Amino acid sequence: MQDYLFYLFALLTLGCGSMIVLSRNPINSAMFLVLAIASMAGLFVLLHAFFLAAVQVLVYAGAVMVLFLFVIMLLDLKVEQRRRMNTLGIIMGFVSVGTIIAVMLHGVVATPVTPVLEVARHDGATEPLGQLLFSHYVLPFEILSVLLLVAMVGVILLSKKELK
Amino acid sequence: MNYSLISMEIAVVLLGLGLLLADLWLAPPAKVRLGYVAAVGLALIFGWSFTFSGTPSALAFSDMYVLDPLALYFKRFSLLAAIVVLIMSVGFAERIAAGISEFYALILFALAGMMFAASANDLAMLFVAMELITVTFYVLTSFQRARLASLEGGVKYLIIGALSSAFLVYGIALIFGTTGQLNFDQIAAVASKYEDNKIFLLGVFFVLVGLCFKIAAFPAHIWTPDVYQGSPVPAAAFLAVGSKAAGFALLLRVLFTAVPGITNGWNHLLIALAIVTILYGNLCAIPQRNLKRILGYSSIANAGYLLLGVAALNNAGRAAILYYLGGYLFAVLAAFLVILIVMNDAEGEDISVLAGLNQRSPLLAAVLTCALVSLAGIPPLAGFFGKFLLIRAVLDEAANNPACYWLVAVACFGVVVSIYYYFGVIRAIYWSKDPPVLSPIPVPRVLGAALVFCLLGMLYLGLFPNHLVETTQDAVKFWAGR
Repeated sequence: MQDYLFYLFALLTLGCGSMIVLSRNPINSAMFLVLAIASMAGLFVLLHAFFLAAVQVLVYAGAVMVLFLFVIMLLDLKVEQRRRMNTLGIIMGFVSVGTIIAVMLHGVVATPVTPVLEVARHDGATEPLGQLLFSHYVLPFEILSVLLLVAMVGVILLSKKELK
Repeated sequence: MNYSLISMEIAVVLLGLGLLLADLWLAPPAKVRLGYVAAVGLALIFGWSFTFSGTPSALAFSDMYVLDPLALYFKRFSLLAAIVVLIMSVGFAERIAAGISEFYALILFALAGMMFAASANDLAMLFVAMELITVTFYVLTSFQRARLASLEGGVKYLIIGALSSAFLVYGIALIFGTTGQLNFDQIAAVASKYEDNKIFLLGVFFVLVGLCFKIAAFPAHIWTPDVYQGSPVPAAAFLAVGSKAAGFALLLRVLFTAVPGITNGWNHLLIALAIVTILYGNLCAIPQRNLKRILGYSSIANAGYLLLGVAALNNAGRAAILYYLGGYLFAVLAAFLVILIVMNDAEGEDISVLAGLNQRSPLLAAVLTCALVSLAGIPPLAGFFGKFLLIRAVLDEAANNPACYWLVAVACFGVVVSIYYYFGVIRAIYWSKDPPVLSPIPVPRVLGAALVFCLLGMLYLGLFPNHLVETTQDAVKFWAGR
């Protein structure tokens, strides 16, 4: 059962991911992004990372996507729809993606199936996650706060209407 | 756990926060001078860093953070670069329409990222430090948003940066998926078991690609000229020096602390990367007429020379990287300082604005000439000795691997090509026919001091290299023996 669900969600993620790139209407792309994120949340559930799945849906599929749609609404969509695809660009894109897929497949096929690593599993509960974040990973976690401050300052600077 | 180990980084972040707050109460003319405050603060931290010299090697934060002579070297390097860049930013303040104190603060936050990168001993730290640097530079490169070129540079940096971050994080996921470890020392302990595991190798390779973006080396070099051309001069200078050094700090730690066995097996790959990078940077620089683009391609070429030290796979090569970066710092900062001062006087970044520079300001002409001569690798300046050390380190390895001779041949060819295009600039300075303007260029006193500082740095490292060579060799020996 779990295997079937995995393939279902993985196919959904891949399919929606390609549709984000292929569809010419930005609203459609954004909607496919929502689907892709939701199916990735399904993959997280299969890995017993329930908290991560919930955050994925709440933050990415919910909050971030609403912002995306607002931005798309404020921009001129017609230009993007009318824009012709560059043939060379398409060919190069397919070649590079194909190469990466081929290399990955080669790697996966050539690697003998190894026993699953014994890593501490916490079944996605928030308590062990929080404890890890504030004990083992406290330094990267705190650096991320500086990163968020930088992002905030940067966004305000780059979008502030008046240059005084 | 010894929290005092990260006190330098904390001080830098606090200084940045202080600048952001001070902006609230200061009048606009005083805001510009905040840059000097920041530079003095960094100079104090630079002095303070010498109190750590005695500590041999200390790990903290569940072994994620390491403070050893190698980390200290890179921290001092970034601090020195940031001090000069802040002084440059004060000279650039007129051309930044809004938010000059935020510009200073962002430079400090990028510096904090570089200092954390210098000490990263864990893939999580590596990723976070690298993102802190990269995200800050997204903002810094597009800071002059009234200029189309600046926005273009920012967008290009953003897109290629996001792509290479994706590679990096994918690689980290593959490494963690196969080994279950993120810490460099722990990866090193198990890496020999996974040397045939293709997925693990792919993970390491993707991390390498992600780091190539930071150091502007093939295959993630394509952004460099456009971003250098578009971004504000101080941002471009910091990108060329600080960001590249941070990338090399991470590259050295990943390749030689985490996966030394794989690195030794990949000697041909590293040689190929270095060859392609050197050829691309030098050959593409020939037709360029824009000064900042020339420095962009030269930055790619220099990343290639620095990769010589990685491909040499010996301690001498790694020490040579550190020395070369030292010489590179002064030369590149001096070149960008001159561009900044000349551009303040006249719009345009074309080589032709340099016409008659030797009559308009002999100091600027002399410093730019020395910087380019040092970058080209002509004695007696620092660049020559750096290239000499790198090539000698590769030749040491050539007995084991004949491909090294090809690498040395390409490096020498690259040097000859680079002399050609650097001398195109020098010719414009001294032998231009009928320069359009001959009015003297005013050099503000502080910028002049920074220029002289860079000039002395180049001369000192070129004429008396012993001290720095010993420091770098000790740092590398200590790191290798840990």
